[in-house]
Amino acid sequence: MLKDITVSFAPHISKPLSTRRVMIDVAVGLLPAMAAAGIYFRIHALLLIGTCVAWCAATEWVCNRIRRKPNSLGDFSAVVTGIILALSLPPGLPLWAAAIGSAVSIIVGKMAFGGLGANVFNPAMVGRAFLTASFGVMMTTWTVPASIDSGMPTLSAADVVDTRTQATPLAWSKTAIKDKDEAKTYSGRLLFSTVTGEVAGSLGETSAIAILLGGVYLLWRKTIGFHIPAAVLGSAFVAAAIAYLINADAYVQPFFHLTSGALLFGAFFIATDPVTAPLTRRGMWLFGIGVGTITMVIRILGEYPEGMMFAVLLMNAVTPLIDRLCKRIPAGGRPHA
Amino acid sequence: MTDDLKDGCTFSRGVHPPESKHLTEDRPIEPGPAVGELSILLSQHIGAPCQAAVKKGDLVQAGQKIGECQAFVCAPVHAPVAGKVKELALKPHPVLGRCQGITIEAQEPAPPSLPSFDLPADFDPARCKPDEICQAVREAGLVGMGGAGFPTSVKIQPDAKPPKHTLLVNGCECEPYITCDYRIMLEWTDQILAGVRLAQRACGASKVFIGIEDNKPKAIKAMSAAIARAGSAGDIRVVPLQTKYPQGGERQLINAAIGQTVPTGGIPPMIGVVVINVATAAAIADAVLCNRPLTHRVVTVTGEAIARPGNYYVPIGTPVEALIEFCGGVTEKSAKVVMGGPMMGLAIADLSTPITKTGGAVTVLTRHQIGQAKFERRQTACIRCGRCLEVCPENLNPTRIAHAVKSNLLDVAESHFIGACIECGCCSYVCPANIELTGYIKTGKIFLARQRKKMPA
Repeated sequence: MLKDITVSFAPHISKPLSTRRVMIDVAVGLLPAMAAAGIYFRIHALLLIGTCVAWCAATEWVCNRIRRKPNSLGDFSAVVTGIILALSLPPGLPLWAAAIGSAVSIIVGKMAFGGLGANVFNPAMVGRAFLTASFGVMMTTWTVPASIDSGMPTLSAADVVDTRTQATPLAWSKTAIKDKDEAKTYSGRLLFSTVTGEVAGSLGETSAIAILLGGVYLLWRKTIGFHIPAAVLGSAFVAAAIAYLINADAYVQPFFHLTSGALLFGAFFIATDPVTAPLTRRGMWLFGIGVGTITMVIRILGEYPEGMMFAVLLMNAVTPLIDRLCKRIPAGGRPHA
Repeated sequence: MTDDLKDGCTFSRGVHPPESKHLTEDRPIEPGPAVGELSILLSQHIGAPCQAAVKKGDLVQAGQKIGECQAFVCAPVHAPVAGKVKELALKPHPVLGRCQGITIEAQEPAPPSLPSFDLPADFDPARCKPDEICQAVREAGLVGMGGAGFPTSVKIQPDAKPPKHTLLVNGCECEPYITCDYRIMLEWTDQILAGVRLAQRACGASKVFIGIEDNKPKAIKAMSAAIARAGSAGDIRVVPLQTKYPQGGERQLINAAIGQTVPTGGIPPMIGVVVINVATAAAIADAVLCNRPLTHRVVTVTGEAIARPGNYYVPIGTPVEALIEFCGGVTEKSAKVVMGGPMMGLAIADLSTPITKTGGAVTVLTRHQIGQAKFERRQTACIRCGRCLEVCPENLNPTRIAHAVKSNLLDVAESHFIGACIECGCCSYVCPANIELTGYIKTGKIFLARQRKKMPA
């Protein structure tokens, strides 16, 4: 009667959920930020995102061929890495630099460790760190949004040098810290722009509304937990508030820190990368607090105006230690034996 | 649904697999097939296996004890039908692989008749001596019929240390598909209640809770009505619980119903709690009041690949094959035969495997269904998403344990409390990378047991 019976471990049914589904969810969550990038930076945004995604995917394919491993493009993790990298780059970055960054992300950040799941550092941040170290000027040249500069849409990526540039809100506040005066007036005027996104900055980080929209989607889909974003934003807010209370003239107000720069984008999309974040809830809180605090320390005390990338990479490095520290204890307590 | 059902108690974490109980929940218990040959396994419980008390060629009576042992943690086995002992041989066992069994050739194969149970009008558990109840339960070969198969007489021992304060009756049936306990609760309500009161009398518990998931409102109503009829509503109470898997795991049930936690590595009696299944309770009434040993049980034969799913009353020892045939055979698409439900049940390769005291269901899954299941798909790398941690009812770190076992680092697995795993399967169920976490953990436990020389390699 019955031929060909399958035997396996229980359970014999499973929830319809796959790694691919998880990654596609993240990509969907990034859509609002990509749309905002498209609105403010027009063709630059599309070219950069396209370049990064294509190069990440191609690099992963080549690496798998060389390693004689099955093709892993189906899990869409390379696509997500590409999008996140693109959204963290300055809009006017030449495409060849973006391509190099993408290749480094995948080769050094991911495949060198053994592929998805084995990497210690967030691949996109590895690529971005490489670009920051290699092409310092390009990585800090911020084109203004197209809605401010009407000449923008017609420009090709090659014309980057001639593009009108502007300091990012955080760079402004940095100068303000040094000059000890301008901060208060500046932040009041620009807080609204950092919420809508009509400011200079990396592709995907400018619009707080778009990022929150995507973040809420990820939370609703349970693709990410609220722990890491809450810890990052909460600790950053506290750190910024302390600075503001110490000297309100020199430091911008805390809400301004939350909406400007990569903090919001990082809290929802970069620090929440499951592979490089701790497993346990307690670990996630620690990790998030670490990212938020280090970011603010760099912003307030450091030489760079922005510190999200370094904060994430630093905390990635201690993730295994956090995991070891925050071991789960069984529901019934530690066994006595 | 009444108000008190809405906010049912529950434990932390767990999963919500599709219930799939619609296939059989409205099918009343019917007599099973007439079977010519029954194989009674000698190890159907936790504890020392029985020794055969009969030889090849012996004639046995229905209800005769055919296997027993003197060990404290053990339960004898009985012949379900009158017949001749055909052979004593190794038979396929759902858990152990192979096990010594006694094959009985029935004198005249006939379908089993549904047992009649009439509660004596003057039934009063106070008049039974606890020792006598316990002895009758032991003689009847009762074991936990929910799946684990711990000898019931050991659980309800009178005067055990520490004293028992609570008796929990498990009517959760949280496994998808299975409906045998549900039907028993609807049809044998008074018998269950009588058994519960006898068990309470034996173990001396002052409080009794009957935990039922709130997806079975009819069962909650029926049990509550029976309690009201018996006039003992004061000390027996039905507790509606949230429908969530594994609500029926005894550690989870205790936590949900009375808010206590069984220590890791411990068992419920350590905190003064006894947990018995509703089917076991019914069998206790049978054993004590009617002097009937445990030779038959209700089995749910179900699954999308079964032509006529239903709940059947069958003699223990009936081969799975005969049951499936009796239910109209299987459809062409069938691919997997599971003894038990799809979350914790054991897939069997040999269809001559007999039904045991603990096997409440035979679930036949289709090729399509198992194609959807994760073990059929390519296992990809763990992305450390932490979903297994989010669902683990025992608050373990399944991915860490499973990967330690995979790398043969058993000490690491132990340091993450591999022994505390209840093997409920929630982690494998949710894993997006199709990793068989539960499978690795089970394997690790076997390796560790071998390492301690408790099990031959």
